[in-house]
Amino acid sequence: MIFLLTGGAACGKSSYAEQLALQLGSPRYYIAAMQPYGEEGELRIRRHRAMRAGKGFQTIERYTDLQGLKLPEKDGVVLLECLCNLTANEMFSPETEGNDCVERILSGVEQLAGQCRALILITNEIGGDGGGYPDRSGEYIEALGCINQALAQRADQVWELVCGIPIVHKGQLL
Amino acid sequence: MILLIGGRASGKRDYITNLGYGEEDIADAVLDPRPVLYNLQELIRQDPTQAESLLPALLQKEVLACDEVGLGVIPLQKEDRLYREAVGRLCILLAKEATQVIRLVCGIPQIIKG
Repeated sequence: MIFLLTGGAACGKSSYAEQLALQLGSPRYYIAAMQPYGEEGELRIRRHRAMRAGKGFQTIERYTDLQGLKLPEKDGVVLLECLCNLTANEMFSPETEGNDCVERILSGVEQLAGQCRALILITNEIGGDGGGYPDRSGEYIEALGCINQALAQRADQVWELVCGIPIVHKGQLL
Repeated sequence: MILLIGGRASGKRDYITNLGYGEEDIADAVLDPRPVLYNLQELIRQDPTQAESLLPALLQKEVLACDEVGLGVIPLQKEDRLYREAVGRLCILLAKEATQVIRLVCGIPQIIKG
């Protein structure tokens, strides 16, 4: 079962996804795609760690190359946070720059889906501010939009979080 | 308390009028005794670090209207990022306490709670 959780900044995606993972059982893996850049990044990571504390997640830091990730055990519950970071990392890291990040991420998600019984994917809505961004940011918005669309087709459940409230776009709430 | 959310110019103000409130009932981004607070996001912008301290006063209101501001690219400026997150987090807290949460899309109300 694949769950795609989307929404804007600070809409309650993480805490909702964690509760969902708890509900779905164990073992629970948390794949962290955010690289700890600067003070704000570290603060954010600390906040997320504190939120996850005591919930029985094994954290795996994975910034790029989801395709190559092997989970210790199959049949677990995986929470991947988040596709926006993973996409940015794939697009802007020197090692992976220039590769087709959309294809790499979609195939990485498939690899992951084959190694667990429930996969919770967190993504972001970033195309809603009508900003005239320079080329690379525009490409990033396009790439994440493509990934979101493909994953929404693939997923069994697509829920958007608004003020912490899930809105069902596909499937139904558990 | 009813929480109205949605993008800028999505129909929140008309919805408030349709609820029966007049101009005299609607405070625009200021805390005062009026029952309706509109443009909550602008009140938060004055000091995003203190957003949560507004909570007790906000919970006394009959209607709160706040723009959804988190649906774009991460802003370049730190204060814009803090503002955006503060609005989102405060709205989560408000939504928990609200009797109804209504999201406006093209002027169409979608009741997402209550």
